[in-house]
Amino acid sequence: MSGISPPARRFDLGSALLTLLTIIAALIWFFPVYWGIVTSLRYDDQTVKDFALIPMDPTLKNYIFDIENSNLPIWYLNSTIVSVGVTFLVVFMGATTGFAISQLNFPGRKALWWMILASFMVPVSALIVNHFIIIADMKLLNTHIGIILPMLIAPVTVIVYKQFFDGLPKEFREAAVMDGAKEYQLFFRVFLPMNWGVTTALAIITFIGAWNSFLWPFLAAQDEMMMTVTVGITAVQDTFGVAYGRVLAGAVLAGLPVATAYLLFQRRVTQAITLSAGIKG
Amino acid sequence: MASVEITGLAKRFGAVEVIRGLDLSVADGSFCALLGPSGCGKSTMLRMIAGLESVSEGTIRIGAREVTHLEPAKRGVAMVFQNYALYPHLTVAQNITFSMSLAGESKAKQAEAAARVAKTLQLETLLDRRPAALSGGQRQRVAIGRALVRDPQVFLFDEPLSNLDALLRGQMRLELARLHADLGRTMVYVTHDQVEAMTLADKIVVLDKGKISQMGAPLDLYNAPANRFVAGFIGSPAMNFLHARALSTAQGLEVTLGGATLTLPARAIPAGEHPVDLGVRPEDIRLTNAGEGKLSGRIAVVEALGNTTFIHVDTDRGQVNVQTDAALRLEVGGTVGLAFDLTKVHVFDATGLSLPKV
Repeated sequence: MSGISPPARRFDLGSALLTLLTIIAALIWFFPVYWGIVTSLRYDDQTVKDFALIPMDPTLKNYIFDIENSNLPIWYLNSTIVSVGVTFLVVFMGATTGFAISQLNFPGRKALWWMILASFMVPVSALIVNHFIIIADMKLLNTHIGIILPMLIAPVTVIVYKQFFDGLPKEFREAAVMDGAKEYQLFFRVFLPMNWGVTTALAIITFIGAWNSFLWPFLAAQDEMMMTVTVGITAVQDTFGVAYGRVLAGAVLAGLPVATAYLLFQRRVTQAITLSAGIKG
Repeated sequence: MASVEITGLAKRFGAVEVIRGLDLSVADGSFCALLGPSGCGKSTMLRMIAGLESVSEGTIRIGAREVTHLEPAKRGVAMVFQNYALYPHLTVAQNITFSMSLAGESKAKQAEAAARVAKTLQLETLLDRRPAALSGGQRQRVAIGRALVRDPQVFLFDEPLSNLDALLRGQMRLELARLHADLGRTMVYVTHDQVEAMTLADKIVVLDKGKISQMGAPLDLYNAPANRFVAGFIGSPAMNFLHARALSTAQGLEVTLGGATLTLPARAIPAGEHPVDLGVRPEDIRLTNAGEGKLSGRIAVVEALGNTTFIHVDTDRGQVNVQTDAALRLEVGGTVGLAFDLTKVHVFDATGLSLPKV
């Protein structure tokens, strides 16, 4: 037995109250989500009768019904295509643009930087009519590209990358230049790999944002076969009227990939939020 | 193997001229140290040799080729940076062979080169580690390895030991000296540490405000500094400077230092009395009893280093640092006299130039 024991933890009333408040706030926030999940596991006639915290007679009927009687698998596929496409393009374009503004000297560099900063001042919802007209003129409504294109406007990604590249000591670049690296090698072999943490974090948060986006996909995809999950579940609601169980089962299915991604990459998501904190305001 | 020839080199950032019409010749196989305080232009000069900084005026030749406007990778030079610039996402082996990988060399050749360099720098057991898992000295060796693998004609070092602690700096100095002896390559080494310059280089170039203040062999600079700036910069602890008045006489140079008069070997000085600064190194001053010697003062600080002791004496001409025998025990506050080795006293005129003996 060693004579050293850990210092006794002293009871701190302030900390205890704060913990209690946090737990209460978390419960208040979580309860609707929990209630949604529980309701999706109840029979329709039970949803307005069974108010127990744990359903008395749980069923997956609503999920099976949704999958069998809607285009959910296709909506999933559409959401995946759109989200993966948006994520890849946003991250790639953000990284290359950030690299160019941070590391290259070209005419109009500062103007481009100010334009990207200024684009923050215009909310996406203010542009949505213009986007619709342009995409319609391009005959891209009800196509994956049509849904993806306006979602590629992500100045925050450029800013995060630029800030990161600005912060790297110039010796990394110079050492690589001395070794004979060309610009594309600098980008792909030095700057981007030194930055995987940031890239992963931005990719996850972009994916979650793209998967959850509703307004633009709702406008751009009028054909049911081109809808994303978030848009599609509104169609489920329309189709099923007030069948709460089915609607909520659709909502759970829609949110499942994002929730899984969040649970798996919690730390990266937090990092991305920290990185973009103060930029998004 | 190649020499470095620099002619009329200038560098301007807008209206600010950081390097002014500089000429320098570094012989093939030489170890040349560019020495000077912060902002003297030594790093800018090295970066111009490397090709990382454009040249405003003048030419740079490496060996037989003019490289003034050539891109860095084609100059046949390799550079070791102060902060090592090791890529954190690559292993030691990948860092060392990064240039080969960029050039598309085969994996087998890269592995062979990494093993060869690792053997030279005693990095064999560290090849699979990442830089974050290395000590400062090991990182510096990897940075040197990255330069070594390119087999350059000229090695450029930009204050490579500045980030190391004193003990490690001493060890790395020895390793660099050994490396230079083994390779026999031309090395240009930027430092603000005169000890590094004195111990490593066979030629020191002292820079001051973008101009060469003096260049030559380390001991030549130590024994015969061309001006007050070099005299004060070379030598640790620094030379003592005492303000005096000098008059050329038939016996030599008669110097009035407060109430005392010293007769030094004759100097080239115009007729009449002139203000001068005497420069005396701590080891060229002897302590005497109070009242004897040319100056007297009160002991302000005693620095006992074990092998030697430095005594700082407050005199009416300012503080004077004296190197004494370590066995000598002196108390702060005591009064002592100071005697100078007159053959080793340097004399600088009012503009700071050294007055040569005639």
